[in-house]
Amino acid sequence: MTRTAAYSLGLVLLILLVALWSLATGAAGLSLAEAARALLAPGEGRADAILWQVRLPRVVAALTAGAALGAAGAIMQAVTGNPLAEPGLLGVNAGAAFVVVVALSAFGVTASGALIWCAFGGAGAAAVLVYAMASAGRGGATPIRLVLAGVIVATFLGALTTAILLIDSQTLDAVRFWTAGSLKGRQLAQMLPVLPYAAISLAAALVFARQFTTLSLGGDVARSIGQNPALWRAIAACCVVGLAGSAVSIAGPLGFVGLVVPHMVRLTLGGGYGRILPLSILGGAALTLLADTAPRALLSVDMPAGITLALIGAPFFISLARSHGAVRR
Amino acid sequence: MRLALLCALVVLAFVAALALGDQPVPPGEVLGALFGAEGVPAPSRIIVTELRLPRAVTALLVGAALAIAGTIAQAVMRNALADPGIVGVNAGAALAAMVVIVQVGSLPETALPWLTFGGALAMAVLIYAFAWRQGTTGTRIILVGIGLSALAGAGASAISVFGEPAYVQRAMVWLAGSLQDSRWEKLPHLLGWSLPPALLAWAAARELDLIALGDDVARARGQPVNLARALAILACAMLSGAAVAAAGLVAFVGLAAPHIARALTGPRHARLIPAAALVGAALLLTADIAARRTAPPLQLPVGLVTALLGAPFFAFLLWKRRND
Repeated sequence: MTRTAAYSLGLVLLILLVALWSLATGAAGLSLAEAARALLAPGEGRADAILWQVRLPRVVAALTAGAALGAAGAIMQAVTGNPLAEPGLLGVNAGAAFVVVVALSAFGVTASGALIWCAFGGAGAAAVLVYAMASAGRGGATPIRLVLAGVIVATFLGALTTAILLIDSQTLDAVRFWTAGSLKGRQLAQMLPVLPYAAISLAAALVFARQFTTLSLGGDVARSIGQNPALWRAIAACCVVGLAGSAVSIAGPLGFVGLVVPHMVRLTLGGGYGRILPLSILGGAALTLLADTAPRALLSVDMPAGITLALIGAPFFISLARSHGAVRR
Repeated sequence: MRLALLCALVVLAFVAALALGDQPVPPGEVLGALFGAEGVPAPSRIIVTELRLPRAVTALLVGAALAIAGTIAQAVMRNALADPGIVGVNAGAALAAMVVIVQVGSLPETALPWLTFGGALAMAVLIYAFAWRQGTTGTRIILVGIGLSALAGAGASAISVFGEPAYVQRAMVWLAGSLQDSRWEKLPHLLGWSLPPALLAWAAARELDLIALGDDVARARGQPVNLARALAILACAMLSGAAVAAAGLVAFVGLAAPHIARALTGPRHARLIPAAALVGAALLLTADIAARRTAPPLQLPVGLVTALLGAPFFAFLLWKRRND
């Protein structure tokens, strides 16, 4: 068995274990046996209602958003040749969140099938804006310029989002947990319209992994082996928008998953994106689910996953920044 | 000459801030009320001196404090893109205050500057410590600052999710950077915390010039580099702490004002610091007028306006430095 296969299997097992842990913990007391019974033989009882309407949707949300963000981070790092690239840091999540809040507040859009397109639009516009700002001129989009541009755009959009929420307390109430990246109270019915987009984007990311590896070698190398870098950058951008947009509309702007996971995969396995991408998908799902479950199970606080992930991810980012001298500029 | 022009600009913005509002007061009456002239109608006098004056003075001081803090940060970090907001010093100050506002609920006015100063200083020290690796670079300081400010932000949102909603709402409005709660009683704290470091920085302008040239040059000229830098960071943290305690998070003034000032007076700190202070004051006064008048009767937080102005400015800076 190859190492990649072994790690994949390990991650899948980890996800299954954490999923069971997540299903068995929560405010309402539900023994593991009851949970298992409700899962395997769905009925009409209280346990079944809790499991199918509260806990399972939460697990699905964590897994989907985490997988999508892990893949989006890996693709962004490949395409920009930038170890700090990530949908949260580069303002993509903030763009999606902003347009969703505008749609909720100003236009009263509530159907998640429509909101997902708002998330896509916002993610795409923010991605284009950040990249354009960072790559203006001769220097190109160096890591520091990309990160600064991302932070600025995220601050800008965050300020606008805050402005709307200050004016419109009804929307504030609706999105207070969502903007902190909380998975509490997700409902399957809300997520169902989004899941196909997430699935298609994930599939596309896997199918194009080889082309992304080529892109990561730089435009010149890519051209010399017959790839059209502009076309593939555009395709990569579409994948990122699809991934980050679905993740945000499910779970709010979760940061740092896309940063941490691809790096961990690269550090343990190295190699091209044919290997990094699938493992980042699994790793992102596992990390997000763990971040959602562990505080609830161990400390009995329902910490929004976005906060836990930032608490884990920011130190990681700092250690990456410390080694910045060794980073390709 | 240019400093005089800047002064005139600040005076103009100041009078405009006093004159404009739901109840406009003609500039003549504003000046009359300020200087205690006879024959100013009582309502105008009350509006000007009791309602708008404390707010305008606060805006003036906070803008100047942020601008000087930004000037110092840009000198110490040797990076023109640095600003206490981006680098996270303000986030440290805000987190410290947020913890207390939400957890304790009420706190004495004198305690807030101490808290925000402590938060800002702790953050500055942490950034410096983490960015240190056989010396440090401006880029690394900025990146580490972004990471730490994300951490502080996560801490603040954790508090806001679990806190008492009423306290959280109040903390959120304040965090967004608002001058709404400007009162005379708060001004002595603001002055006490910002004037000494501002004067210290101005008096040490030559040392800042040296720091900006780099460690080796500064050391060759006989500067105790690490001491100078530590004092500069202390001053920067005091100024940020004072500004955050008075007005919450006001982004980008610290970034933009030094740049505009540098374009006017050149890089020498003896002239740069007063110029930046004036530009910062004018910027914040104008931004607060915009915040009050854009969507009346709604009062937008001024931090929102500066954030909105700041992003395009930052894009412009990146574009201008495109050949670096």
